[in-house]
Amino acid sequence: MNKNDYMYLDHAATTPMREVAFEAYKKTEMDAYANSSGGHALSRKAKNILEESREFIASCFGAAPNEITFTSGGTEADNWIIKTPFIDQEKIAELTTTQIEHEAVLASAENVHKNGYKVNFVSCDHDGVTNIEDFKNSMNSNTLIASVMYANNETGVVQPIKEISQLVKDINPQTLFHSDVVQAVATRKIDFHNLGIDSAAISGHKIGGPKGIGVMFLKTGYKIPSLLHGGKQELERRAGTVNVSGVAGLAAALKEQQRNLEEETKLIENERKIFESKIKEDFDVKIIGENVERLCHISNIQFKDINSETLMVALDLNGMGVSRGSACASGAQKPSHVLKAMNVEDGVINNHLRFSFGWNTQASDGEKSAEIVKRTIKEII
Amino acid sequence: MSGGVDSSVVAGLLKSQGHDVIGVTMKLWEGPNGEMPETGCCTSADSEDARKVAAKLDIPYYVLDYTASFSENVIDNFVDMYSQGLTPNPCVECNRSVKFDHFIEQAIKLNCEKVATGHYAKIIKNNGAFELHKADYLDKDQSYVLHMLDSKKLEKIEFPLGTISKPEVRQIAATLGLKTAFKKDSQDICFVGKKDYRNFVSKRIDVSSKGVIVDKYENEVGTHGGIHAYTIGQRKGVPGGQGEAKYVTKIDVENNKIYIGSRDELTTKKFLLEEVSFVNNIEYDNLSIQTRYNSDDVPCDIEKIEESIYQIELKSPTLGVAPGQFGVIYQGTKLVGGGRITSKVLEEVYE
Repeated sequence: MNKNDYMYLDHAATTPMREVAFEAYKKTEMDAYANSSGGHALSRKAKNILEESREFIASCFGAAPNEITFTSGGTEADNWIIKTPFIDQEKIAELTTTQIEHEAVLASAENVHKNGYKVNFVSCDHDGVTNIEDFKNSMNSNTLIASVMYANNETGVVQPIKEISQLVKDINPQTLFHSDVVQAVATRKIDFHNLGIDSAAISGHKIGGPKGIGVMFLKTGYKIPSLLHGGKQELERRAGTVNVSGVAGLAAALKEQQRNLEEETKLIENERKIFESKIKEDFDVKIIGENVERLCHISNIQFKDINSETLMVALDLNGMGVSRGSACASGAQKPSHVLKAMNVEDGVINNHLRFSFGWNTQASDGEKSAEIVKRTIKEII
Repeated sequence: MSGGVDSSVVAGLLKSQGHDVIGVTMKLWEGPNGEMPETGCCTSADSEDARKVAAKLDIPYYVLDYTASFSENVIDNFVDMYSQGLTPNPCVECNRSVKFDHFIEQAIKLNCEKVATGHYAKIIKNNGAFELHKADYLDKDQSYVLHMLDSKKLEKIEFPLGTISKPEVRQIAATLGLKTAFKKDSQDICFVGKKDYRNFVSKRIDVSSKGVIVDKYENEVGTHGGIHAYTIGQRKGVPGGQGEAKYVTKIDVENNKIYIGSRDELTTKKFLLEEVSFVNNIEYDNLSIQTRYNSDDVPCDIEKIEESIYQIELKSPTLGVAPGQFGVIYQGTKLVGGGRITSKVLEEVYE
């Protein structure tokens, strides 16, 4: 199948690399392939690209360059910030996070718990918005880390980050407030300092950059142990030869995204709205987070009486790629922990599909997509 | 596609015949945190193998979740049967309630014409009806575990390996460059793996109730730690007599009692089958029966007692007919039908 014939609506999982990112990646790999920490001319060339990219990337998030460390992706950044601060901590230290975090945070939190620390998983309401009262009650003077995602990757529902960060500081000014912004940066402009975020995880491939590159933002003044040990790189914070071409690709992707953000998100939102309204015309559906603030590119739809596993397979066979949430290694997809946290009833929890649009979404994709879904559902019911 | 060589080759053969093939691994079982088993079949390594084969063959591939259906129809039944002193056959239950039921339904929903599996059995169309036959390669014949399929179901099924031998299957896999060509066959119960099934059962129900082991004269010869650990014909763990080996001959659930006896006492001539189904019409001539998977065919006669209950009379007494297992009736290579061997005797049916 020609890739142009395939309707890819799984941008929340990953989105195609922008041409400019690919060019920057390739150029760096060809012309500045040396180790950026080396002591010769080619290394200096790589180092220049690395630091210029760092400055630019930092500026996109209102951060200082030395607050940016490059990682292999969002998962590494989340693991780093959630797990390492607990190394050598007294057992009274606690972690507070939410039930709806991405697996990278949840699994890291489980690991912290396994090592003997108390972890509080804060609930959310029926729309998938963090329960502030519950959050407040889960914070205390022992809270070492508090972690709340900016927006959920399965529903797109945006969390009240500024309110929560303020709450964290009011209760315990020592607590490091982390936010997984991986999904949000796909279609939002974010200023870390302005939002009171102390650390954050970013993934390059969600915004049209290369896979295998990410960012760990850590506010000046905080210091956390290294996750990876070895040759000292990245201001001795992270070992491993720096993926300079990945960084260059990410910077190029971000540059294009920031320049086109308004235009891109307007188109995405428009197509998503058309898609949703067309689906609503024909089927009994519920759109998750419809009445709360939501990322413009994600539409999580509950179909009454239609098992989404069958629908997802049938859509693929009809040329449309979507997902039910996060895929697990075996490929089978389990009922989503996010929907469970939202108290979605057992009878319909397996009837959800996530449709996610992206930077290369075209005008008319909303209508075309709705047509494919309509045709497919008629085939399988 | 289990990730084994048989289903890999089925996919390859069908694809090379020009069919539009979709590969599916049925996720049947998972641990408490959603993990797939480490041993047995359905491991994540197996689904990864299936995924690689599907990629190599360039066919769509999906892992679909049947854990709820499997748990309800197969696992619960497995545990329940042992608690009743019966010997379950989870593969038959899985085929009957999951694989050739829910799975076929879903395939039909996806507009598939047929479902093909790597079972060794043959489907032959005869005068408009579909018959189920033993595989040509008898060493691997799996028709026993498929006995519940009737003509209507068989119309929707293909068993492409019915005329091929296992060595040929491996050869085809190697020729197609499939990585499963020389993968070892799995013999375990998929959800138990290499572990002892008794532990699996005792974790799920309280079977710790101790009882006595007696001989046919009700003389106490030992004690047991729960009837789930015994099956008819079992020798291991049974108190031995002087010189002569002893076997479990009967399990009395009500009185929590295990009967043991000599090998001769294990033989059966008449027994009942319940939940009997036929592939097409019932037949009466030249019949034989298998009372366990891959056991010898024993010539027999059958007699209808009432709806779906039949009496089997073996022409020669046979060892180890275990209630809970299935009796599968053949006429030559043609599978006529089958049902579950019951511990009930004729008088109980009439009561």
